[in-house]
Amino acid sequence: MKYMGKFLFAASALAMSAPAVSADEIKVGSVAGVTGPIAELVDPIIAGRNLAAQHVNDQGGLLDGDTLRLVLSDSACDPKAGVDAGGKVVNVEQVVAVIGASCSGATNGMVQSVTIPAGVVAVSDSATAPSISELKDNDLVFRVAPSDAYQGAALAKLAYDSGVRKLAMTYSNDDYNAGIATVFEKEFAAMGGTITANQAHEPNKASYRSELSTLASGGAEGIAIFAYYGSSGIAIIRNSLENGLFERFFAADGMFDTSVIEQIGADNLRDRISITQSASDYADTSYQAFETAFSATGKDPKAPYAAHGYDASFLVALAIEKAGAADRGKIAAALREVANAPGEVIRPGEWEKAKALIAAGKDINYEGASGPVDFDANGDVVGIYSVNVVGDDDKWAISLLK
Amino acid sequence: MDQFYGIFLYVISLLTMGGIYAILALGLNIQWGFTGLFNAGIAGFFAIGAYVSAILTTAPSVRHLGGYELPYIVSFVVAMIVSGIIAWGVGKVCLKLRADYLAIATIGIAEIFRLILKNETWATNGPRGVSMIPKPFESLPEPWNQLAFLGLILATVVAIYFLLETARRSPWGRVMTAIRENEKSAMAAGKDIEKFRMEAFVVGCMLMALAGAFIAHYLKFIGPNATDPMTSTFLVWVMLVVGGSANNKGAILGAFLMWTIWSASEILTSRLPDELAIRTAYIRIFLIGLALQIFLQRYPKGIFPEVRPKPERRVNPAESPAGR
Repeated sequence: MKYMGKFLFAASALAMSAPAVSADEIKVGSVAGVTGPIAELVDPIIAGRNLAAQHVNDQGGLLDGDTLRLVLSDSACDPKAGVDAGGKVVNVEQVVAVIGASCSGATNGMVQSVTIPAGVVAVSDSATAPSISELKDNDLVFRVAPSDAYQGAALAKLAYDSGVRKLAMTYSNDDYNAGIATVFEKEFAAMGGTITANQAHEPNKASYRSELSTLASGGAEGIAIFAYYGSSGIAIIRNSLENGLFERFFAADGMFDTSVIEQIGADNLRDRISITQSASDYADTSYQAFETAFSATGKDPKAPYAAHGYDASFLVALAIEKAGAADRGKIAAALREVANAPGEVIRPGEWEKAKALIAAGKDINYEGASGPVDFDANGDVVGIYSVNVVGDDDKWAISLLK
Repeated sequence: MDQFYGIFLYVISLLTMGGIYAILALGLNIQWGFTGLFNAGIAGFFAIGAYVSAILTTAPSVRHLGGYELPYIVSFVVAMIVSGIIAWGVGKVCLKLRADYLAIATIGIAEIFRLILKNETWATNGPRGVSMIPKPFESLPEPWNQLAFLGLILATVVAIYFLLETARRSPWGRVMTAIRENEKSAMAAGKDIEKFRMEAFVVGCMLMALAGAFIAHYLKFIGPNATDPMTSTFLVWVMLVVGGSANNKGAILGAFLMWTIWSASEILTSRLPDELAIRTAYIRIFLIGLALQIFLQRYPKGIFPEVRPKPERRVNPAESPAGR
């Protein structure tokens, strides 16, 4: 027990001493599924959040030159860990706002059990479950990531407009993909299309041949795939092409990655695949400002939700500035004011300008890397989507869906 | 002042989760510690309890079965009964298997339950999970709501502890140990070992379901990710083994200790620069393994090793079974 005593003492000493915040540091919780099933997707999102914090700190910091510090905590995509992580940043670290917690399930648990009761505003950058809109949240839960309802509808319209009327569909049985698939199925049928077969699949199987043979038997013109590329999506496309089961693919953003082209081959996919992605308007000045800065960190600015991570973090900083104090209640109230019109337009990276305007008492309206980020009554944003096809240079060619 | 209040709230949450895990560990202790049943399917019964209680108490929703809005006490009891009935069915099929085969069978069965809960979308909202689950005492002001919920959990842990301690000292408990140590001789002594093993299995699974019900209300949300085997089966095993299997105090201590290591280690790692903080998130998983190694090196039978109850009347101390 001697060693354990020492360990516990050292641990508690560290825990007690460190949170004694120096006067010039304002903490914001950055809760993300660092470990767990979507770890590889979370890395660029965290980089997006950190880049925004860096922009704030490089251009004069918050309020009277205070530093914005993001405290990272792991939600592991698990509601238990999400509640625990949220509790740590809110109670132990005494953060003024929380960004996160990545997966919809973890976010759902965290906001209901921790942040709403504590009166802390939570801005999610990648939770898309429609149920989050319905929470009784005292206007404390915001999302810069659009609810699934929008992407499912966008993909259904894309498929219908491309002339396809009969589709099979399969989705990876996780919260994200199942959610989009449900909306897609409903919307495609409502437009007059037919879903010939719909089957869930478990990720990480070696082969999906048997599922695909069943799906192909209904005479569909193509297949809509809702999956993550690494855990099942690539295998599904490969099995379909190898066995001549499907030649036309529609997919949602879990499938968007350069490795899809690398592993299947550009020529095998040209004119055959269309992937929607919750995206930014790549022609938009706001996005380009973000792209330039984010590329410098060596990460892909088009990675899913990286731009949303940036926007969530930047918006929280703007709200702190607008509130004029590191006060939880005031920050929550200020968030909508800085995000929505009216006001002078602020783009990613323009912290100095925003700070000056707020100091002068002017209204601002943040137009983010991921879109205009105007919150509606539920704290949600309307989604913007792009469609990706294989271009002449054997890379993804991206165009905005209107 | 805020700082200490915050740490106070965090300690409440640590104890709440620790208490819920203690119920799981006590349930496993009946099965493994006392009777020697290798149940590697804790997550399945945990999930059943969580979903049953969630569905029975939530307001109507278009996304999942529900709208019964029953009182908590009813939902807790029903969750335990449902789990008990299912455990009985599972036990009928599996309990004839010996240790390692039973482990494989229970892992498989737990995954089947988890997959059913994940795929029966009409009832459970599938992978999206059940949200807006009410939480006992949530209408009280902060921090009293959290304290009251913690009180409920701790009172349950204490009640289960005393019940199990009584059971352990009773003839029932002694038969369990006899079965664990030597099934044939227990059978030769005229004990119906099938019946006793079934009792231990069912009671253990009912406690696991109760822990599941508590977690659903604590998180106010339940989805397939919350019942993942890593944190709902294997972590419980680590807790019991570290604390000391066949010792109820050990099961409780192990649960609080390992959950504290699991959770509080991040308070330290989150102070590191970001690149490192991302990597150390994985080190926390490694820490659990390391802690298991260290504790087992130091305390091969767990921190609190098993203590056999003393026989009530000793005719001849030399023949007492104490020196097992």
